[in-house]
Amino acid sequence: MSSLTSSLPRADGAGARAARWGLYLILLLFAVWYLLPLVVMVSTSFKSLDEIRTGSLLSLPRDISTDAWSYAWTNACIGADCRGMAPYFLNSVIIVVPAVIISTLFGALNGYALTKWRFRGANLVFAMILFGSFLPSQVILLPMAQTLGFLGLAGTAGGLILVHVVYGLAFTTLFFRNYYVSIPDDLVKAATIDGAGFFQIFTKIMLPLSLPIMVVTIIWQFTQIWNDFLFGASFAAGGAQPVTVALNNLVNTTTGVKQYNVDMAAAMIAGLPTLVVYALAGKYFIRGLTAGSVKG
Amino acid sequence: MTLQNPPFQPAEEKARPAPAGSGFRASAQRHLSKLVVAPSFAAILVFVYGFILWTLYVSFTNSRMLPVYDLVGADAYVRLWKLERWYVAIENLLIFGGLFIGISLAIGIVLAVLLDQRIRGEGALRTIYLYPMALSFIVTGTAWKWILNPSIGVQEFVRGLGFETFTFDWIVQQDTAVYTLVIAAVWQSSGFVMALFLAALRGVDQEIIKAAYLDGASLPRIYWGIVLPSIRPVFMSAFVILAHLAVKSYDLVVALTGGGPGYASDLPATFMYEMTFRRNQIAIGSASALMMLATVVAIIVPYLYSELKGGKRV
Amino acid sequence: MATLSINNVRKQYGSVEVLKGIDLSLNDGEFLVLLGPSGCGKSTLLNMIAGLETISAGEIRIDQRVINGVHPKDRDIAMVFQSYALYPNMTVARNIGFSLEMRGLSKAERDEAIGRVAKLLQIEHLLDRKPAQLSGGQRQRVAMGRALVRDPKIFLFDEPLSNLDAKLRVDMRTEIKKLHQRLGTTVVYVTHDQIEAMTLASRIAIMKEGVVQQFAPPQEVYERPANMYVASFIGSPTMNFIRGTLSAEGDRLGVSVTAKGPSESGPSRFLPLAEAPAEADRWLGEEVILGVRPEAITCYDPAIAAGNPALVRVSCRVSVLEPTGADTITYIQLGGQEVVARIKPSDRPVEGEPADFMIDMSRANLFDPRTEQRI
Ligand SMILES: Nc1ncnc2c1ncn2[C@@H]1O[C@H](COP(=O)(O)OP(=O)(O)OP(=O)(O)O)[C@@H](O)[C@H]1O
Ligand SMILES: [Mg+2]
Repeated sequence: MSSLTSSLPRADGAGARAARWGLYLILLLFAVWYLLPLVVMVSTSFKSLDEIRTGSLLSLPRDISTDAWSYAWTNACIGADCRGMAPYFLNSVIIVVPAVIISTLFGALNGYALTKWRFRGANLVFAMILFGSFLPSQVILLPMAQTLGFLGLAGTAGGLILVHVVYGLAFTTLFFRNYYVSIPDDLVKAATIDGAGFFQIFTKIMLPLSLPIMVVTIIWQFTQIWNDFLFGASFAAGGAQPVTVALNNLVNTTTGVKQYNVDMAAAMIAGLPTLVVYALAGKYFIRGLTAGSVKG
Repeated sequence: MTLQNPPFQPAEEKARPAPAGSGFRASAQRHLSKLVVAPSFAAILVFVYGFILWTLYVSFTNSRMLPVYDLVGADAYVRLWKLERWYVAIENLLIFGGLFIGISLAIGIVLAVLLDQRIRGEGALRTIYLYPMALSFIVTGTAWKWILNPSIGVQEFVRGLGFETFTFDWIVQQDTAVYTLVIAAVWQSSGFVMALFLAALRGVDQEIIKAAYLDGASLPRIYWGIVLPSIRPVFMSAFVILAHLAVKSYDLVVALTGGGPGYASDLPATFMYEMTFRRNQIAIGSASALMMLATVVAIIVPYLYSELKGGKRV
Repeated sequence: MATLSINNVRKQYGSVEVLKGIDLSLNDGEFLVLLGPSGCGKSTLLNMIAGLETISAGEIRIDQRVINGVHPKDRDIAMVFQSYALYPNMTVARNIGFSLEMRGLSKAERDEAIGRVAKLLQIEHLLDRKPAQLSGGQRQRVAMGRALVRDPKIFLFDEPLSNLDAKLRVDMRTEIKKLHQRLGTTVVYVTHDQIEAMTLASRIAIMKEGVVQQFAPPQEVYERPANMYVASFIGSPTMNFIRGTLSAEGDRLGVSVTAKGPSESGPSRFLPLAEAPAEADRWLGEEVILGVRPEAITCYDPAIAAGNPALVRVSCRVSVLEPTGADTITYIQLGGQEVVARIKPSDRPVEGEPADFMIDMSRANLFDPRTEQRI
């Protein structure tokens, strides 16, 4: 990707130089604005309560203390449960891993079937699945709660996995479908003549070609499911709640002294996994975002 | 996005059954594609469309704490539209949605255009602008809540600098709380708009720019007159995405204001949750959920329709 | 090696019929070229032979066995695609051996077969590469290798050379021809390049809008086109179509070409035919179209003309000369109609001046102006 204007000559002279300085200044100011909440969060989480009270919002911690982090991880009270964020973090992991794997797998299969083995009505099926990605979750909260109760999954991790798989299908199918559309049909024809069947073509040819979109999809699903709050708050009870719900409960606990440093450490704990993934594979995350925007 | 695929009807739709020795296996092969999609499609049918119908049905009952199934007509809708709190939620959605979409678009476009000027460190800046999108609203809301809190956040900070009368207490004021939602939401999503537009800018034909430059157009003119109009479809996409994010906004409100003070910063999403799960007004909650769905449909369906019908080249 | 017969095959997409009853039959070892403009249904027909498209009506037989419902892998055919369709994730060797892998052959057997084919196509040094690391021509060879390795009854080619540059295309064309001569396998080959068709085919089927216009050996298609469409599709510059009336002068039948327009008055030209057409009586006095290939019109040479009564002398005004090197394409006015002649560069007439030409009427064709069919 080269800059749109890279083919034009650079302007010279004092005016142009001043303009460039202004340009960088604006961009840096925006960077500061975007970074501010993160900086506040990180620095506060390393401060002691005393320092928070005496210091200012933006001051960096004088002596870095990890007490808030370890307290948030093991001792903080979420409601009446004072085991810290750790068990909830684990809950999220237990929910996220299978949900991501299952929804990605189904997305890949759907994308493959809908592009390479088109049946009558395939477009309609895809459009109907796609609509799910825009569905306001509020419409399905109540029936879902009832259904989970009926299935005996109410309040469990299994229930949340089901929910995330179902409502992730729209995105994963979209990603894979749009990717597979660009893989030539001739490959499938050639493989058919070579004697490969439906699943052999999938496993031996399509999947090995799918690595980039696989990464995009996994990262997207991971981020979505890890960051989910509404489903977690609606369908998970007590000890099975995911980390975002726990964080919200922790922050909104009104009893006792407000420990802002613990709040911030807990927020960082809840946010770190997706932040790390973003730092490591931001490129794929962005690709997911733009693909998820139904831009094809 | 193209739905029109190069035509390829593999052997699964045979006009005649395969000759002897085929039997079950052949017929299974023929329908494998459908079989593979079937579970997902069935799940979507039940969990999306079935549930929509279910909620629709319930909205025509007088369910309160538990769903009951006696139809009583549009009673819930009548009561919904008599609720002061619903009007507050709607009004907030209009304010929030309008500002959120407008400001996010403006910032996103400006950043994209500025970043497109052969900026040193573009990659790093882009990463910084976009990272909020990777975080949960619950996480970032925690930070924003602290920053916006008058007694410990920005207000206190500025007063500490010596401006004793400086006031920035929007989050605790009835009539301004909703604007804090805008601040946090714009912060979260504008980087995404930037990414969308930057990708589109990079896709514009360089030859056109060169031609315009040779014609003597200035850089701002080139952007305003040629580049931005040529990526019009992206405006559409960005608008639709932001609009549907706005309608669905829930986490943000919960994390930042909890809908408060009182219910001054309620949005339809929080209203629905409150009615359904806290106030035992299931029918009204369902009715409000359907209102949200109708709004999203009104935004999405024309857009999807035009995209899928190949009308993406405006 | 096999025979192939296609009997009244039709293909419908919804309400659109893209193949309207195709009848073709091939002997063992024949090289059939399906030739036609874009969208005429060549690929569709090929895919139906391969089993990649269903057959709406009619039947296809390979070696007398009806294969309508047979899975592609059981038809004993191999196909080379225009895009080559090499599996990007596999090495060249695995690409070639994939069909054997799918048939459960052991690694040793596969390697042996791959080695044999690689040697034949001289791609042994490429076996460990991925398709992305190959040039266009090399990819083409690998695609051929993939088809060759199974030693199928029939090879199907869908415009296999159209993605190559001009020079490579000619080389590969020759190579395909050699391969065919060596292996003797029946081939069905789709192209819209008439040179490819002429050079490779033992028979050409010219298609238009889902109908076979003519199914005959290349030379016959060239010399005795079944209709004006075929006549104009093959040959470059295309055949001249000269409007005229079938008339008799003495005991000789011929076409009189009347001058059209005020500027060219004068007697109509009479071009005597070398042989009388069928049903000549019915056509006498009727309008016909005389089809003459450009190379059948040359500069008048009394020495040659004297020995051949089929050569008819005409005097025409020369309008434009287009030298191509080997020949000079000459536009002349014949009875008010523009006619193209292909003459030797040494015969160079003068632009704007009249000159004498001779038409080899033994190579002329007559067409019905209404049906455009050959008379
Ligand atoms: N799945 C389909 N649905 C509808 N029409 C189709 C389908 N596949 C092909 N056609 C139509 O059938 C006709 C024949 O297509 P085909 O691909 O066989 O042409 P072709 O002769 O191979 O052309 P080309 O030289 O461009 O490859 C075309 O008009 C095409 O539009
Ligand atoms: Mg074709």
